[in-house]
Amino acid sequence: MDHKYVGKDIVRVDAIAKVTGEPIFIADMSFPNMLHAKALRAGIPHARILNIDTSEAESMPGVVKVAIGKDRPMLFGACFIDQPPVAVDVVRHAGEAVAVVIAKTGHQAQAALSKIKVQYESLPYVLDPIEAMAPDAPLVHEHVENYWRVESAAFPIPGTNVFHHYKLRKGDREKGFSESDVIVESDFEFPLSNHAALEPHGAICRFDAKGGSIEIWASQQGPFILRDVLSGMFKIETSKIRVHSPYLGGGFGGKSDVAMEPLVAWAASFVPGYAVKLILTRQEVFTSSLLGRGMKGTMKLGAKLDGTLTALEATMYFADGAYADAAFFIDTVAGHNCTGPYEIPNCHVDAYGVYTNSPPVGAFRGYGHPEGELMSGRLLHMLAKKLGMPHEELLKKNFLAPGRVNSVGQVMKEDMGDLPGCLDVVLEAIDADKYPKEDEKYFYGKGFAAMFKSPKHAANAGSTCSIHMNNDGCAFVNLSGIEMGQGVYTVFTQMAAEVLQIPIEKVSVYNSIDTQNAPWEWMTVASLQTYRGGRAIQNAGSRLIELGMKNACQVWHCEAETVGYAEGVYTHKDTGATLSLGQLARGFMMKNGVTIGEPLQATGWYRVADVEDPDPETGMGNVASSWTFGAQACYLRVEKTTGEVEILHFASAFDIGKAINPRLVRGQMRGGVVQGLGAAFMEEVLFKDGVIRNTNFSGYHIPKLKDIPKKQSMFILETPHEVGAWSARPIAEHPIVVVAPVVMNAMSDATGIEFTRIPLTPDVVLKALSESKQGR
Amino acid sequence: MDVLEFTVNGIPRKVLLEEGRIMLSDVLRDFLGLTGTKVGCGAGQCGSCTVVMNGDAVTSCVVPAAKAQGSEVLTIEGLAKEGKLHPIQEAFIEADAIQCGFCTPGLIMRLYSVLTKDPHASEEVLKEAVNKHLCRCTGYETILDAALLAQKKMLNEENA
Repeated sequence: MDHKYVGKDIVRVDAIAKVTGEPIFIADMSFPNMLHAKALRAGIPHARILNIDTSEAESMPGVVKVAIGKDRPMLFGACFIDQPPVAVDVVRHAGEAVAVVIAKTGHQAQAALSKIKVQYESLPYVLDPIEAMAPDAPLVHEHVENYWRVESAAFPIPGTNVFHHYKLRKGDREKGFSESDVIVESDFEFPLSNHAALEPHGAICRFDAKGGSIEIWASQQGPFILRDVLSGMFKIETSKIRVHSPYLGGGFGGKSDVAMEPLVAWAASFVPGYAVKLILTRQEVFTSSLLGRGMKGTMKLGAKLDGTLTALEATMYFADGAYADAAFFIDTVAGHNCTGPYEIPNCHVDAYGVYTNSPPVGAFRGYGHPEGELMSGRLLHMLAKKLGMPHEELLKKNFLAPGRVNSVGQVMKEDMGDLPGCLDVVLEAIDADKYPKEDEKYFYGKGFAAMFKSPKHAANAGSTCSIHMNNDGCAFVNLSGIEMGQGVYTVFTQMAAEVLQIPIEKVSVYNSIDTQNAPWEWMTVASLQTYRGGRAIQNAGSRLIELGMKNACQVWHCEAETVGYAEGVYTHKDTGATLSLGQLARGFMMKNGVTIGEPLQATGWYRVADVEDPDPETGMGNVASSWTFGAQACYLRVEKTTGEVEILHFASAFDIGKAINPRLVRGQMRGGVVQGLGAAFMEEVLFKDGVIRNTNFSGYHIPKLKDIPKKQSMFILETPHEVGAWSARPIAEHPIVVVAPVVMNAMSDATGIEFTRIPLTPDVVLKALSESKQGR
Repeated sequence: MDVLEFTVNGIPRKVLLEEGRIMLSDVLRDFLGLTGTKVGCGAGQCGSCTVVMNGDAVTSCVVPAAKAQGSEVLTIEGLAKEGKLHPIQEAFIEADAIQCGFCTPGLIMRLYSVLTKDPHASEEVLKEAVNKHLCRCTGYETILDAALLAQKKMLNEENA
């Protein structure tokens, strides 16, 4: 079917604003009666707080209030309530706040911080998740079992650092391995990473003068979740809390979990009537927001001689940091999706979310999938070598396909997408370039992997939409999808114009999201806005057209069958009379002024269908409403003398059902691959004495222009999905998921070295090259 | 208190500097309300805060405000003239070089400096310029495209 706007390379609706410096981000906002807050960070990974002396700080110029945890002890969380906004008796990671200064200016608040004197009793700390599970490990929390949590989703082990144990029990592991002819097994590690969105996190919060209501502006992908969390913290009804989300300068999941906002709200609660602003420094983004990834794991695969997979066993330990709320869902999805896009009849997976003395871990683009599929993506390559079977053939033999069953027991349907097609197209692209196996300066290698991803979402994850028709025929479209670079307003605009059949210039999507004026939305995560928000737009748009039809029938005293609708205009089929949406926007005014019909405004909604939490015993169930499949491949070369790796060509293909805006999709693919290459080659959060030591961009390197592939190819396959708006499947996080195993497989091809841990820095590669030379 | 006198986007400005470590980015953003200049790292490493001072691209988050005394500063707000975007701005839109938009103003200002000083700058020079900036969204390829397109547009405009 032909579409006018859907499927087209429409230019971003926020483009002009973004090249002129117009969009307002959180740091750009200020209010009358505004104060500035700064937090004192512990700087020690685990300690008991013995005493805090704030007297000198209080007398510093401009200081309005110095508050410490004991002044107002509380805990917050969305699904696992274990975190204080400011430490009370115990510091559990070095970036934790122990006091807050509120002053007239940020400089004054900063100056006063150094005058606060804190006495600590240092406690033993633990960073490694496996060490943290040892019986004699220091306990980060003494009684994990006592915290309030969603009991159907989080399963702590009392008396330990394990706040969540996810189990996948599909089929019979022993039987599966006994049926196998070949077994491969390896340890893997995906270190802690930082999202490194260019915009630091921030919030501005104001309690009313009596402290009974809250208004907060925050760099948040989930304003409605933040509202619930603040409601729980301060025992104030959600209707009395108003959360605004401005434009976000990148999110990547790092702004989807509630992290620093409770600290700002807590501070503001001491000065009701004043707005309190706190923008994290870049250093604090590293030490005191959320980290991502942080997995150590083991995986074992069994297969028959013909390559048929019979069993998978995996154990994953997540160094999830000091608090559980943002992490335990990651552990779950990593557990059940670590299989990759393959049918494996017998799966036995244990994923442990473990408290450690680092900043808490939260969502990071594709969460759980890059960690889990690093293992399966690498291990299948090793298995192919062991079987002496072409890697491509092994993958294809075991691919999920219509009628086959995934790890959680869902039977794949005809509309799942063309996974073999994705692999074919990236391999064809990569194979077009011919390189030697080796020359004087370089080793050359090719690698690939296939991927899948499901959203991890609340069972009630929904979007709502309202559309108001204006008298000039322009539609105001209101949803609470957050714009953070992905282009959500653009896609919403295209979809609204398509469903209403009006020129795209006549659609205006609200870009000022707040929980009082914007319709409810679960949150902008898991690549779901197009898929789910799009359905809400379709729903609201068709209702609005129906309402206009009713109005037209009243005006013309006729039945709906007599009236046609096209391109924003109702036409009487017999008389040829016409009425536009604009003419009917406020009802229809007749010559004598009498007005009939309803104003044209409609609401719509969509909720993911029939999704459930995994079964507590088997870890299986209808956990996701959609899956996106894809494949990536690369050619690279390794410089023998430096260990530096150059990506010569990186190809990606995803079957996304329908690209609503192919240009934006390519943007997600191109950027996601480069982010993935950052993880694969350079990024790792490093500690010294329990404290993060690389807290800026000179210590924590992210890719620059010179680090990108010499060439990127991107392919969009479109096997229509039966549920998504205009058959679209989620796409946004996906391009990052298997970048690491793709390049590691290529490194194996190039050098024969089986890397199992990232990042592959030049030092790491060089050391491995020299060791492998000695070994030969 | 020191008085900073300089010209911003062609307008003479006088700013009373408060005590403390006040940077050019603070003056632009907090005193003059020019929030199009973004601060991403506060250490001159990410390039988001880049503005043009006396023709040179500078990372304004590490330029002490006093250093701007008597200077001419151009920020992203001063680039579009009389309702018309600058060719570099047009090029960023056409090449799809924008996602979240946080790094965009800094990149545009750096390229403005490079391309006004040397309209025929080589691709290598443009790459060096873009390589001074961090962008976490786009993967850079389209930003380089935008730089090359901007150069073409500016040369065309000059010849027209």
